[in-house]
Amino acid sequence: MIETKNLTKKYGNLTAVDDLNLTVKDGDIFGFIGPNGAGKTTTMRILVTLLEPTRGQASVNGLDVRRHGKKVRRLVGYMPDFMGVYDDLKVFEYLEFFAAAFGIERRKRKSIVEGVLELTDLQSKQSAAVDSLSRGMQQRLGLARVLIHDPKVLILDEPASGLDPRARIEIRELLRELKRMGKTIMISSHILSELEEICDHVGIIEHGHMVFSGTLEEILPRLGIQSKVRVKVADSQDKAVELLTALPQISQVRISGDYIAVTLHEGQNGDGIIARTLVNADLDIISIQPEKLKLDDAFLQLTKGIVH
Amino acid sequence: MTTGLINVVTEFVKLSWLTGPIFDKELRVSSRRRRNYVLRFAYLALMTIFLVLVWLEEVQQSGSSVYRISRMARAGQTIIMFIIWFQFLATQLVAVVMLSTSISDEIYNRTLGLLMTTPVNSFQIVMGKLFSKLLQLILLLAISLPLLAIVRVFGGVPWNYVVSSLCITLTAVIFVGSLSLFFSTFSRRAYIVIIITILTLGMVFALIPLLITLFWRANLQKIISEKIIFSILFQPNPYAVLAFSTEAMMSPRMGGGMPFYSWPLHCGIMLTASAVILVVSVTMVRKVALLQAAGQINISSRKSLFRKKAVRGPASQQDFSTAPRRVKGPPVIWKELRFPLLGRRKRATLIGIFVCLSLLLITYLLCFGEGILDDEGTHILYAVVFMALGILFTIIYPATSITSEKESRSWPLLLTTTIDDRQILFGKFVGILCRCLPIWIFLLGHVIIFSLAGYIHPVAIIQIGILVAWIVVFLSGSGLYFSSCFKRTTTAVIMNFALAAAIWAIVPLLLGLIGIITHEGDFAEAYMDTNPFVHAVVIIDATANENPVKIGSYSWIGSRRSDVVQSTSWMLTCLAGYMLLGAFFAWRAKCRFRRDIF
Repeated sequence: MIETKNLTKKYGNLTAVDDLNLTVKDGDIFGFIGPNGAGKTTTMRILVTLLEPTRGQASVNGLDVRRHGKKVRRLVGYMPDFMGVYDDLKVFEYLEFFAAAFGIERRKRKSIVEGVLELTDLQSKQSAAVDSLSRGMQQRLGLARVLIHDPKVLILDEPASGLDPRARIEIRELLRELKRMGKTIMISSHILSELEEICDHVGIIEHGHMVFSGTLEEILPRLGIQSKVRVKVADSQDKAVELLTALPQISQVRISGDYIAVTLHEGQNGDGIIARTLVNADLDIISIQPEKLKLDDAFLQLTKGIVH
Repeated sequence: MTTGLINVVTEFVKLSWLTGPIFDKELRVSSRRRRNYVLRFAYLALMTIFLVLVWLEEVQQSGSSVYRISRMARAGQTIIMFIIWFQFLATQLVAVVMLSTSISDEIYNRTLGLLMTTPVNSFQIVMGKLFSKLLQLILLLAISLPLLAIVRVFGGVPWNYVVSSLCITLTAVIFVGSLSLFFSTFSRRAYIVIIITILTLGMVFALIPLLITLFWRANLQKIISEKIIFSILFQPNPYAVLAFSTEAMMSPRMGGGMPFYSWPLHCGIMLTASAVILVVSVTMVRKVALLQAAGQINISSRKSLFRKKAVRGPASQQDFSTAPRRVKGPPVIWKELRFPLLGRRKRATLIGIFVCLSLLLITYLLCFGEGILDDEGTHILYAVVFMALGILFTIIYPATSITSEKESRSWPLLLTTTIDDRQILFGKFVGILCRCLPIWIFLLGHVIIFSLAGYIHPVAIIQIGILVAWIVVFLSGSGLYFSSCFKRTTTAVIMNFALAAAIWAIVPLLLGLIGIITHEGDFAEAYMDTNPFVHAVVIIDATANENPVKIGSYSWIGSRRSDVVQSTSWMLTCLAGYMLLGAFFAWRAKCRFRRDIF
C-alpha cells in the first residue's frame, strides 16, 4: 500500500531522509519510530505530497506521489503533529469545510460529518469553536478530519502526543477500530509501549536511514537479543538451577526472587527442553514464561541517539 | 560603607535598574538579525540618493564657478533641510515598525509570563524594549551627524537649527515608539499595530487640528486670534514645529508671521506624553503577563491578546448557541467569506463606522461652510487621502491571506485536500476583493456623491473605477505572491509595502536622479504618469471645476494627452499593464503554494 524506494530528501547540506526503503502492507498498522530529527515527519510529509523528494520514489497504492499528487491526496488522510485551526470555525463547520474540500457532495456531507463525529465521540462538541477545544478534543477532531473523506490510508504523525492516559487509551481503541474497518495506518509516536500494542509492523529510522523494518518478533534474531525465560518451581529451586545450568542451549541461569531467570543462547527456543528437563527430574513446575521483548529495548539497541 | 556607596552609584550609572537584563538581550538578538544591517544600508542608500538629488539640483547647475560658489550656502541649507526631514520621517517610520512587535512577540512566544516569574518587573520590560530599539534609532541618527557637520561648513545653517531639529526628531521618535509599543500589547499582528499607530498619529496631528481649525474659522475667529489658536494647536505637533523651525532657518525674515513656538517646550510636551503612554504600557504589560502566567491568554487566536479562553463575552456565547453554518459553494470561497462584512463585533464595528462617517461629514460641512467644495484642491485632497487608505488596506489584506493560514498551521491541511491550486488561488482572490472593496467605497462614494451634487464631472466615476480596479488587482497579485513566499504575515505585508514604495516612490526618485545627470528627464516624467496618485490628482483636477458640465484639461506630467479620450486610453493602458503584472504575481504565487510550507 505504501512503498518508498531510495527515498532521499535534502535541505541544503542536510540530508533529512537518506535512501529510505520501506513497505507498508494493505490493512497493516505500521509504527514509525525514531529519535527526534530522524526523518519520520519528513517521510510522512513526502507521502502526503506536502514535500517533494530530492531523489527516489514514494508511492501510495501504486501511485507515485510526485506524478499523481491529487489521486494520492484522495487516498490518504494525514494528521500532522500539530493542530491547524481556523479561527472562529465551529467543529461541524470545520469538518464540513474539509468534506467540501475533498469534493464530497453537499447532500452527503451532513451525514458523513455526523458519522465521523460519532466515531470520534465528538457529537456533543459540534457547535463548539475549534480553537476552544482542549488538546485531547483537538486530537480527536484531527482524527475526525482525517476520516472525513474515508481514505484507505491514514498517516498519523504522533497522534497521541501531549494527551493524558485516558485520551491515549481512547485514541488507541479508535485506531484498532479503524484497523478493523480495513484502513492501512502509518503512525509515528514516541510512546513506544503504545505502538507495541497496536502495530503489526514497525520501522525504526535514524539519521534518515531505516535501521530496522519488520514485525516485533523479527527484531529478536536481527538484534542478536537472547531469549529469556522465567521459570517458577514449587520447591528445589537450587536443584532446578543446577539442572538448567548443565543444558548446552542455556547461557545463563540465576535466581531472581521466587523465580529462576534463564537466558538462552542466541536463536534458541528453550521452553520445551526446560520443561522436559525439569519434569524428568520430578520437579513440580508452577510456570514457564518467556519474557517478552520490549520495543524500548529494541529501540535503544538499534539507535545511537544521532540526530540532525 | 564606601564600597557599598560605590556599588550603588555604579549600578545607577549602568542603568540596569531601569532596563534589567532585557536591554542586553535585545541588543544581543538584534545584532544577529540580518534585517537590522539591511535597514541601516537601506537608510544610508536612500539618504545618499536624496543628497545626490539635492546636490545636483542645487549646485551642479550651469554658470560660472563664482556663481556656483555663491550658491553653496543655499545648497548647504537645502541639503541640511533634506537630511533633517528625511531622518525625521524615516526614523519615525522605523520606530513604529521596530516596536510594533516588542511586547506581542513576548506574548506569542510565551516568554512574558516566564519573565514575570523572575525579579524583572514590567517597568524594566517596557524600558528595556524601548531603550534597546531607541539605541538603534539613535545610531541611525548618528550616521548623518558627520554629514550635517560638514555641510554646515557651506554656511547659512545655524547650530541652533541642527540641535533643535535633532531634539525634535528624537522626542518624536520616542513618542511614536512608545505609541507603537503600547499598541503592541493589544495585537500580535505587527501590521495592525503599524496601521493603528499611523492612524492615531494622523488623527492626533492632522485630523483633530484640521477639525479644530475649520471649527475655529467657522465660529470662533472673532474671539480667538489666529496666532493664539495656531500656537496652541501646533506647539505639541512635531511636524508643525519642525516645519516652523525649517521655515525660520530658510527665511529668517519671515519669523514674525509664524505662530509662537518653542522647541524646548515642544520636546518637554512630547516627553511628558511619552511618559504617560509608557506608564499605561507598564500597567498593561503587567496585566497581560499575569494573564499569561495564569494561562488565560489564548495564544493561538489571531484576535486580541486579551481574549481569554475561559471567560468569553456575551457576544461569543451567543455565537456558540447558534447552529453551525453549512458550507455552500466552493469551500475556499466559503471560508474566505465566512466572516460577516461587519465582523464578529458588530456593535464595535458599527460604532467605528458611525464615528468615521460623522467625522467625514463634519469635514464636508466645514468645507461647505468655507465655500471650498467647488475648489478642485479640496477634492484632490479627499481623493488622495481616500486612495492612500485604500492602498494601505489593499497592500495589507492580500499579504495576510496565506501567511495567516501558515501561522495558524491550517495551510498544510488545505494542501492535503483535493482542492487544486487554481481553486485555492481563485478563492483567496475573491476573499481579498470582498475584504478590500469596502474601503474603496470612500473614494468611489466621494466621487459619485459629488458628481451627483454637480461638483465633479461624472466621467470621473469611470476613470476612478479604472484606477481602483488596477490598483486592487495589482496589489492583490503581489500580496498573494509575498504571502506565498514568506512564513510570517508581517514580512509579507512589509514586502508588499516595499514593492509599492519602490515602484511608486523610489524608482521615480532614481529616474529623476538619472534624468538630472543625463539632462534627459522625459522618461522619469513618463514613468510618473503610471503612478496611481498622479492618476487620481490628474482625474480630479480635470473633472472637478467650477463648470462640472465641461471637462477640464488633463495635466499629465510626462505627456500632452490632455483630452478625455486620450487620457482614458492611457488609463486603460495602465489598467492592462498593471493587471498583467498582478496576474503574473498571482501565477507565481500559485507556483509557490507548495514550497516552504512549514
